[in-house]
Amino acid sequence: MGRIRDKLYKSERGIASQLVETPARTSATCSGASLSRAGKLSARNLDTRASPQPGSFWALRGGWPQPVARVTPGKMAATSSSDSDGGKGESSEANSKWLDSLSDSMANIHTFSACLALADFHGDGEYKLAMGDLGPDGRQPRLKVLKGHTLVSQKPLPDLPAAAVTFLMASHEPRTPALAIASGPCVYVYKNLKPYFKFSLPSLPTNPLEQDLWNQAKEDQIDPLTLKEMLEGIREKAEVPLSVQSLRFLPLELSEMEAFVNQHKSKSIRRQTVITTMTTLKKNLADEDAVSCLVLGTENKELLVLDPEAFTILAKMSLPSVPAFLEASGQFDVEFRLAAACRNGSIYILRRDSKRPKYCIELGAQPVGLVGVHKVLVVGSNQDSLHGFTYKGKRLWTVQMPAAILAMNLLEQHSRGLQAVMAALANEEVRIYHDKVLLNVIRTPEAVTSLCFGRYGREDNTLIMTTLGGGLIIKILKRTAVFAEGGGEAGPPPSQAIKLNVPRKTRLYVDQTLREREAGTAMHRTFQADLYLLRLRAARAYVQALESSLSPVSLTAREPLKLHAVVQGLGPTFKLTLHLQNTSTARPILGLVVCFLYNEVLYALPRAFFKVPLLVPGLNYPLETFVKSLSDKGISDIIKVLVLREGQSTPLLSAHINMPMSEGLAAD
Amino acid sequence: MGLLDRLSGLLGLKKKEVHVLCLGLDNSGKTTIINKLKPSNAQSQDIVPTIGFSIQKFKSSSLSFTVFDMSGQGRYRNLWEHYYKEGQAIIFVIDSSDKLRMVVAKEELRTLLNHPDIKHRRIPILFFANKMDLRDALTSVKVSQLLCLEDIKDKPWHICASDAIKGEGLQEGVDWLQDQIQSVKT
Repeated sequence: MGRIRDKLYKSERGIASQLVETPARTSATCSGASLSRAGKLSARNLDTRASPQPGSFWALRGGWPQPVARVTPGKMAATSSSDSDGGKGESSEANSKWLDSLSDSMANIHTFSACLALADFHGDGEYKLAMGDLGPDGRQPRLKVLKGHTLVSQKPLPDLPAAAVTFLMASHEPRTPALAIASGPCVYVYKNLKPYFKFSLPSLPTNPLEQDLWNQAKEDQIDPLTLKEMLEGIREKAEVPLSVQSLRFLPLELSEMEAFVNQHKSKSIRRQTVITTMTTLKKNLADEDAVSCLVLGTENKELLVLDPEAFTILAKMSLPSVPAFLEASGQFDVEFRLAAACRNGSIYILRRDSKRPKYCIELGAQPVGLVGVHKVLVVGSNQDSLHGFTYKGKRLWTVQMPAAILAMNLLEQHSRGLQAVMAALANEEVRIYHDKVLLNVIRTPEAVTSLCFGRYGREDNTLIMTTLGGGLIIKILKRTAVFAEGGGEAGPPPSQAIKLNVPRKTRLYVDQTLREREAGTAMHRTFQADLYLLRLRAARAYVQALESSLSPVSLTAREPLKLHAVVQGLGPTFKLTLHLQNTSTARPILGLVVCFLYNEVLYALPRAFFKVPLLVPGLNYPLETFVKSLSDKGISDIIKVLVLREGQSTPLLSAHINMPMSEGLAAD
Repeated sequence: MGLLDRLSGLLGLKKKEVHVLCLGLDNSGKTTIINKLKPSNAQSQDIVPTIGFSIQKFKSSSLSFTVFDMSGQGRYRNLWEHYYKEGQAIIFVIDSSDKLRMVVAKEELRTLLNHPDIKHRRIPILFFANKMDLRDALTSVKVSQLLCLEDIKDKPWHICASDAIKGEGLQEGVDWLQDQIQSVKT
């Protein structure tokens, strides 16, 4: 039988892809081999990431590094499971936020988050946990019910469970919720934990050729071997896939064929798809305890909404890929949004009155979990990160996890109005995030594969986790525990919240802004034109200065000179010192003269014209002369200094000296 | 105090009054226990979850008890500490069949014992391991182990198994409490 099943999975494309495409689903559905592989994978992840994270890590808070978490390895080893805040605090029992109610490593529970449901099934105030258990090797699916620490009932299921949810079927009293378990192509509904209704997905059209073949077999017109050959032909070519009956027939040995055909030939062939995911959607009231519809995702890329009482299909929507996780909000009769994370790595968002997805979020990786928190969709990807999206597909934030995400679920603390996301990681941690702020970290003795939070027994805030090895951990949130925000390393720095003293927007400012917005191009052009004109004028002036050697630096190849003048004294007699320097590297300069041009009414110089001695390269020659101010009216003027070559009339360089006012004369 | 009251007090007819706090998680049977300790004509027939708290009175052989029957629901447990000052004794009721919440009971007890109004007082504590009639109930020894009662060194305490519906084990506990209160007084 096992072999048949294997072959069946191989041959039927749909089911095979269900097991192969989504990593989250595979890690949850096929427990044994792939789970241990996930474990190994996480171990490798740990190795590669261990080095940058020593025992205590530092976070920049307010500009100064402060130790935010100190984890002593010895202590960690000593306590079997502990927790710590996102930011500070040592993990010890006294200041932990959680009470350990149970830690049973031998509970033999193998399931995933979608298959856990908490509800008061009997209406006695005692909340129980119903779970679709896969069995230790994924071969013994069971419905298990836990009350307190004990397993109160277990019933076999016909096929592996895909999801378990609780919902209220009708609004009349007693308002005890029903349990729905999706398994294979059916949804099994339990009331009072007793079987109540079985909903089967509508059958799909079969291949007429295949139908013909089985009809011939029925009338013994065809022998099993030919039947097999013909069916294989259909399987390879036809667009409509084969029915389960034919697929089960194909891998049989010759000896078994006869018996199979005889047994099944009288039955008509049927083709059905399977349910991949399920969630609930409120019918017409937003209350906590309102009647809810079941929403199913199927292997043939469809979403179905079922009526809560009659179990008829109220709406059918199609998707571009196979949904793996579903999240619903709103009410079916009013307005609702469905988010479906699909195996092609995209999340499609559908609304009422749309048969096709309205928005699409391309994740670029495989989704491993989808949780709706208030108005944010939190998606875990197989690239070890959590992403927050709005229901319109806008990405809000991304947080990187230290290891692969194995399970996700919603944490809702009604008493404090808190909604957060729990993510179980492969490094034996469960992290709780409120948006991108890390609130709490729980360390578990083993990697957690499924988790749920809610009212259990008589306790409101209970966290139930099952582990890779089939263990069960129950923790209760302390009454006094408060998840502090902002203590963690994530989130915006506090300085960002300081309000800047921005002046009020005046009418003028608004007008100016509007004008800038409207005539931006024209303004830019005018500015550019003016800038070019300015540059042109500057260039012209520079060229003119160079041509008339008005600058104090001469850069001609023969006489590279530098002139720099200093005026000393208070007046009426000033000392004027000209520092003349030959800036060439090797050539001395000979035959230069200095000439002063000045207003003879105002100033008197002993010599207005003198020769310069030989200028040795690099040395600074101070040439001193006295200037006497003649005016007694406190007038100052410019004295021009020209350095000329003997026999040439154009100056090599020139300098204008702004003479200071004569103070000595005024004192006389 | 009226003249008659004073007269009866002098004559020893009036019993001495003590204030007792009755604490424990919700659904542990606090109200049922107090109800059962009252004279049979004063007992009420149906017990509903207590909201906030209620004040009940009953008499033992030599004392008159005024009991603050506190609500055990999570949202009312923060009211407990406001009555710690007035209490001269504490009755702590545990649902012995609720293994899931034994840790919660332990945590509430720890918070109670570490409260400044209780910590340094030698106040007697009586534990009722209630619901002994249920099939999956733990024994009183097991309950005292789970709650780490042996760690209470500075206060007199006593645990007794009880079944509040039938009234079994209640009188034993109240007798112990009466002895303790009188020994403290004298």
